[in-house]
Amino acid sequence: MGNKQTIFTSQQLDAYQDCTYFTRKEILRLFHRYRDLAPQLVPLDYTAGPDVRLPYELIGSMPELKDNPFRQRIAEVFSEDGEGNMTLDDFLDMFSVLSEMAPRDLKAYYAFKIYDFNNDDFICRSDLEKTLNRLTRNELTEDEVRMVCEKVIDEADLDNDGRLSLEDFQHMIVRAPDFLSTFHIRI
Amino acid sequence: MRRMSVFPQHGTALETLGLTANEIRQEVENKTSELVSDLVNLSAGGRFQAIRSLPMSFNERKTIRNRVNSVKLSKTILSADCRQQVSRSFRRFRASLASARQHLVVWQDTLKEIGGRFGTSVLSYFLFLKWLLKFNLFSFLINFCFITIPQIVHAPNISSVTGFRGLELLTGVGYFNQTVLFYGGYNGEVIVSTPAYNMQLAYFFTIAAYLVLCGVSLIYSMSRSFQNNFVLETGPVSGGAWRLLCSWDFGVVNEKAIQYNKNNLGIQLKESLSERLQEKNKTSLSDRIKRLSLHLLAWLLSLGLALGSGAGIYFLGTDKLTFNFDNDPNDLKAEASTLLLPVVVSLINLIVPLLYSLISKMESYSNPRAQIYISIIRNVVLKMSLLGILCFYWLNFVPNKISCWESFVGQSVYRLLIIDFIFCLIGIFFGEFLRNVIGTMCIQSLGVPEFDIARNVLDLIYAQTLAWIGIYFSPLLPVMQVLKLFIIFYLKKISLSMNCQPPKHTGRAAQIQTVFIALLFFPSFVGTLSMVAFTVWRLRPSDQCGPFQGLDTPFYAIFNWIDSIQDPPESKWVWWIFENVLRSELFYYLITLIILVITFFLWQITQGRKQLIKTLREQIVNEGKDKVFLLNKLQTIQKQRREMASYIPQDFDQTTHFNTNWMSTLPFEM
Repeated sequence: MGNKQTIFTSQQLDAYQDCTYFTRKEILRLFHRYRDLAPQLVPLDYTAGPDVRLPYELIGSMPELKDNPFRQRIAEVFSEDGEGNMTLDDFLDMFSVLSEMAPRDLKAYYAFKIYDFNNDDFICRSDLEKTLNRLTRNELTEDEVRMVCEKVIDEADLDNDGRLSLEDFQHMIVRAPDFLSTFHIRI
Repeated sequence: MRRMSVFPQHGTALETLGLTANEIRQEVENKTSELVSDLVNLSAGGRFQAIRSLPMSFNERKTIRNRVNSVKLSKTILSADCRQQVSRSFRRFRASLASARQHLVVWQDTLKEIGGRFGTSVLSYFLFLKWLLKFNLFSFLINFCFITIPQIVHAPNISSVTGFRGLELLTGVGYFNQTVLFYGGYNGEVIVSTPAYNMQLAYFFTIAAYLVLCGVSLIYSMSRSFQNNFVLETGPVSGGAWRLLCSWDFGVVNEKAIQYNKNNLGIQLKESLSERLQEKNKTSLSDRIKRLSLHLLAWLLSLGLALGSGAGIYFLGTDKLTFNFDNDPNDLKAEASTLLLPVVVSLINLIVPLLYSLISKMESYSNPRAQIYISIIRNVVLKMSLLGILCFYWLNFVPNKISCWESFVGQSVYRLLIIDFIFCLIGIFFGEFLRNVIGTMCIQSLGVPEFDIARNVLDLIYAQTLAWIGIYFSPLLPVMQVLKLFIIFYLKKISLSMNCQPPKHTGRAAQIQTVFIALLFFPSFVGTLSMVAFTVWRLRPSDQCGPFQGLDTPFYAIFNWIDSIQDPPESKWVWWIFENVLRSELFYYLITLIILVITFFLWQITQGRKQLIKTLREQIVNEGKDKVFLLNKLQTIQKQRREMASYIPQDFDQTTHFNTNWMSTLPFEM
């Protein structure tokens, strides 16, 4: 443990442990994953809390995210600047929410944000169209896209305002037991 | 749930109220301190769990955590430093325990790779396999420690008549006949030591404890899985909303697999659209009758197949028994002929499911879920009728005809397990490898075979049932099962990545998994339990070998033990409990009554909850309608005012005032 301890102070490690779903070992491993993305930018000593931000291009090139159709949205949602450039804290945050341990409500909250492309706190028709474009290979006709979006809103919109709020979304998630295991990136 | 709903949205919600920056800050501060005081009142474990699940950025969470910690520290009597030290070291201890547990997780990377390439539904097969592996490893450990080691240390009675010839690995007789692998290798003496070690009791209680623990763990995981996957489900969810927003597998990282998933999702969405169109035109009566008779025919055919193969096994078994029981130990031919029955059973297990899938193709179900469930039911009926017939034969005919019949049953189970394993390997080679070669080289239209999760899991359940049945007759059988599962894990993984493609209809993997655990519990475990219980309570153990020789039934070992501990007065209470509680009908009558009453109450509660959920859902819909109605009304009023304002310009100021206020009053009015 000797040389590993100098990356963080033990207070820092405690804080990380208390605020994420990771153990000490996993935090150190994630730190090394983060550092491996840009060894020249990230120092090995984090005790002073340096202000390092890795650009989205590097984060998006991780094998866990590289081919994910939502990689940019994930990075944007979890980065503090909203543009996908991540500090180590953001990075840990992201994988903590996507880990196995995170509860359903937390996962649902962030999944909602990921699907909410225009950040208006509602999933509306345009968000659904964007989601659909990312999840299929543009093989649906315009008519079919419209019908699918209509159907989604029709099924999930409980308060009939024509768009999905966080509550609508959570209500749907509760009835989709697979969600917990599929909204999960193994690291 | 205030933490979830109020905090993340404060920005937009408050800005629309038109508050100044200062007021917003004040509001946020209030909410934060409320949150902190809420958190302080939780228990230590719950507190950190709650902090972790706050939907905000890491830094905000850290600030909250620090505030909570400082408030918590100021409240304690101990000096802050000391207290901090203690709590920190306690937490570090817990964290190191957690990371030590992670070391024990086998196949972490392999499972990650499988999940990344084939998605969660295929991963669930491997997780199931791993779970079974744990069961067997545990059973091997306790059997080995409490039964085998005392036996080996006390009396190594390996008096094998023949040398090792290799065929034993398949048949389990000959060299293995008198070893600790089977029931016959044990004897029921009391090992003289301090305290004395009674082999009869050890044998009985180890098997009983293992079966009870298995039952408890199965019930626990079944109820957990059921709670997570079934109870919360109400109303139709199989439609597009769920498919589009909840079914994408974020764990898949392989590029090809992602393209494949995208294709599938497109197809499924199209299917669900066409289903919706189909629903509108109803089928005619003659069509329905035709379909119904087709289903009936298919059911008759598949049940007939299951019954026929059961009867075949029965006649084969009773026929073979006549020349089997006094064979010469050196007769290799006779030994090899014992393999006929297991080979036939495995052949049936291989071929009949294929016939079933042909039958279900003929039926052409419109609903893929119904098709999956029906094929599962048919396969389970087949496998359980095979095993039921075998058990009937073992318990009814074998004990009267063979001198050391428990060992014979153990060897039969051993052979079934081994041959099943060989057929599994053959299945991987012919069913997956050759099928892939044919599909890609010769007949392109066949394509790459799909990985059939249901069939594979049912095979695992079948093998596990065998292993459970055999545990009384062959205490070290779990070793075989462990080795088998271990090899199958790697072979399946290789075959999957080389030959197969992930299944097309992956939806509802979690529910199917619950069904599998339930199947493992209901016909499989309960059947085994009743078989072992029957053996222990009713059947006369063989006189020549085994720990229970000379007793009327194995359970008499317990009677003898209870009688023997009656003498020292301090252990009289054990005897009293046994006599007055465990052996009295009244006790079981009362227990059953109490359980029935509790079940009834719980059922009433669920009914009440269901009613409540229904009412709440209606309320949500109504509130939505109210909101739309009020918004429309407001718009018309606003329009009127604007029209009025165009007549009287000084009224304009008033409308803006109104505009800021209605939002804040609305929620309270509703």
